[in-house]
Amino acid sequence: MAKVEIVVNGRKEAREVEDRTLLVNFIRDTLGLTGTHVGCDTSQCGCCTVHMNGRAVKSCTVLAVQANGADVMTIEGLARDGELHPVQRAFTECHGLQCGFCTPGMIMATVGFLKDNPNPTEDEICKGLEGNLCRCTGYINIVKAVKRGAELLQK
Amino acid sequence: MGDHLFEVDGVHVSRLEDLRLITGAGTYAADWNLPGQLHAHFVRSDRAHAKIVSIDTTAALKYPGVAGIYTGEDAVRAGYVRGVTFLNFKGKNDMEGRIPERPAMAHGRVRFVGEPVALVVADSALAAQDASELIRIDYRDLPVVIDPEAAVRPGTAQLHESVPENTPFEYEAGDKAATEAAFAKAAHVTKLKMESTRVVPNPLEPRACLIAHDPKNESYTVHVCIQGMNMMKRQLSAYTKVPEDKLNVIARDVGGGFGQRSTAYPEYCAVMIAAKATGRPVKWVSSRTEGFLSDTHGRGNIIEGELALDKDGRFLAMRLNWLADMGAYLSPAGPVSHIRNPTTCLTGVYKIPALYGYWRLAVTNTAPIAAYRGAGRPDIAYAIERLVSNAAAELGIDAAELRSRNFIQPEDFPYKTPTGTTYDNADLPGVLAKALELADWKGYTQRLSATEKTGKLRGIGISTVIENTGAGMYPKDEVELEVGKDGVVTLYTVAKSQGQGHETTFAMMAAKVLEIPAERIKVVQNFNDRALIGNHTGGSRSMVGAGTVCHIAAEKLVQHGKSLAAEALGIEPSQVSYGAGEFRGPESGMKITLAELAQKREVKIKGEGTFGTTYPNGCHIAEVEIDPETGVTDIARYMTVDDCGVVVNHAIVEGQMHGAVAQGAGQVFGEHAIYDKESGQLMTATFSDYFMPRAGMLPDIVMAEHATASRINPLGIKGMGESGCTASLGALVNAVIDAVRPLGIHHLDMPLTPAKLWTEISAKRGTARA
Ligand code: FES
Ligand code: FES
Repeated sequence: MAKVEIVVNGRKEAREVEDRTLLVNFIRDTLGLTGTHVGCDTSQCGCCTVHMNGRAVKSCTVLAVQANGADVMTIEGLARDGELHPVQRAFTECHGLQCGFCTPGMIMATVGFLKDNPNPTEDEICKGLEGNLCRCTGYINIVKAVKRGAELLQK
Repeated sequence: MGDHLFEVDGVHVSRLEDLRLITGAGTYAADWNLPGQLHAHFVRSDRAHAKIVSIDTTAALKYPGVAGIYTGEDAVRAGYVRGVTFLNFKGKNDMEGRIPERPAMAHGRVRFVGEPVALVVADSALAAQDASELIRIDYRDLPVVIDPEAAVRPGTAQLHESVPENTPFEYEAGDKAATEAAFAKAAHVTKLKMESTRVVPNPLEPRACLIAHDPKNESYTVHVCIQGMNMMKRQLSAYTKVPEDKLNVIARDVGGGFGQRSTAYPEYCAVMIAAKATGRPVKWVSSRTEGFLSDTHGRGNIIEGELALDKDGRFLAMRLNWLADMGAYLSPAGPVSHIRNPTTCLTGVYKIPALYGYWRLAVTNTAPIAAYRGAGRPDIAYAIERLVSNAAAELGIDAAELRSRNFIQPEDFPYKTPTGTTYDNADLPGVLAKALELADWKGYTQRLSATEKTGKLRGIGISTVIENTGAGMYPKDEVELEVGKDGVVTLYTVAKSQGQGHETTFAMMAAKVLEIPAERIKVVQNFNDRALIGNHTGGSRSMVGAGTVCHIAAEKLVQHGKSLAAEALGIEPSQVSYGAGEFRGPESGMKITLAELAQKREVKIKGEGTFGTTYPNGCHIAEVEIDPETGVTDIARYMTVDDCGVVVNHAIVEGQMHGAVAQGAGQVFGEHAIYDKESGQLMTATFSDYFMPRAGMLPDIVMAEHATASRINPLGIKGMGESGCTASLGALVNAVIDAVRPLGIHHLDMPLTPAKLWTEISAKRGTARA
């Protein structure tokens, strides 16, 4: 067992976890924040994407102990004071989600990606989303949502 | 339609389900938890075909935290040995389907890699997994049968005693003699052997369930991912003999379906055993690899087709020899999907005077096959559209022209096909004309020469298809509307969105009639306190069925409300008018709102409807560029013209089309469930080994609608959730073959991977040079 202290969505969470606990399980099972999803076991789908110290990471690929002392933001922490994040708005405006299972990961990955590249081309968006799978949308509206998100962020 | 979902007076309105889904507040199957719950882990067969000699659970049972271990013996003792298979029609020579037993966990014998053999429940998921590694199973290997063609050959090892020659069913449709006669006098016959490859549906949410048993009344609460509660209850009940009214099925958000969720899986029944035995709720969450191994797969059809034409390129007859791989056991929807749907649309969009098809199902040591987006419709459309394009190329007739020469004409609708189907309505020449214009079909040669200058290959492919949608297994669809004291109308339906957006579209249907904002209608798709008859969401049926009933129910609510309002206002019902949530009498000030009426008394009605099958149709045109140095294909352009009848929400229809075309493109260019022929191991059991479409695979699709109103559905609506998939296989493969045909390649089976194309192209070029 190991003690970890992780700030999640602005709240300090001090817990004891099994050494092998993945960050995603810490988030989902220990903290009950089920907006972060698990879609695979090989770090391919990106459903589990969260931000750790401001960078998008796949939380199924990080141990909770590795996140000790870190600042983590999940999809639940993205909207501020009831105000949706521009990327959240963009996804719904562009019909960039259907079942919504990939969506939290897509949105977190997009927010991270747009930090690095606030004005991406379509090709850059597709490269940027390589690590996120969606089975419903065919990605066409997701690519539009990322573009729209970039626009909204610059307003 | 722009990028926005729908706009009312310039104000953007979101899909009503979106807010919770974009904020992480959705509730999928794995998100449910119950106090005191145990966690389940399945031990799965690592053999494709073997006798189970012994299972030793002693060490595992001692592992800390373990609460119980269950095996096939428990399944047999419980009587959970046979799920339902919808095979209620006779086959060739009146043959009855041979449906083998399938205990909820393997008993005595395993028949595919991944078949559940034992179930461990423990305090934590990790403990259950650790303990499961201590279970010792002795197997004696049996001969492995993977290839369906080999499976049905005499002398091949048999999977089930009750299924001779591994053939559970044979079926034929059409007129064999007339077809033979027509072939005998044909000027030209084109032949192809085509495989619609086995693929894995892979909705992104892995399967999961959380099941609690209540000993007081012998009932179960089952949290699970579904496509509709009635279907799940019916199938679970058939498997376990627990009456439907003792099964409380609970689902909120479902992360994609595509046919894969419509089965009551044996794992759910096994978890019921554990929940009852331990007296505690038991939760199981599948890993992705378990999903690859044990979710139902899709397609898996080998089709030999022949098309006979006269000297003017008119179709005389078509003959199909169809072998459908069912996997190791018959899933509920597998047989019907791959026999009934293809038979229904056997003539495609063409007048073909003589048709004959022979179907044979095969069992193999692989995961069971069931419906997957289109469920046999993409397969039949693919076969026909490949044959037609192949014939066009062989005869030197333009592929669009050959189609147009053989179309069923607008005045022929409703059109009775030679296999007894009645197509409701279509304007195929109109669809084609619009598609050719959209695609700039005539300008293709210019684009071709531009590509050729770069050293790449270019091809154009077309497919014109029709498919059956909307019919269901229940005799009618019911929708209940109940007005709350706050005026919010709750709409109950047993259809269940897995991403289709029923909360929005169903609300829109009722809102339009009630003249209130869609936000004032709350769509509830899962409940156990009332029984409604109706179908699940699948087979592109929900807007045709339940969605239409939302409209009917809302009209009924207005009528019913008028009589209640008349009473309240002390006037005759005929004097009451309704508009925008308000009932009004003849004099000013004489009015009562929906909310006020509901405060006085219960305002609740049930609407119902029974509709037949609708036939969406359309034309897809694809252009591809292939780099011969790498074999990589780029989809350069993709155009669709679809007739899905009257459209309720254009953005949602576009979204469905995008997703369906992407799944088609996935199958065409990479998706393939590959079993090793000797060991029976699934070689593609993770997202690193199995090709999944990614962003950028499809260009933005250029779409147009060309609607003819359905004559079956009172609102003119046709189902459309699958039609994109149905048309895309043919369009894309035809485009690739068009590109490589100059090299002498006239057919390649999917998936058209870079490796396959590079190999084929290099071989031909090598030969040409030599
Ligand atoms: S769960 Fe799939 S990448 Fe993390
Ligand atoms: S919206 Fe369903 S997986 Fe992306």
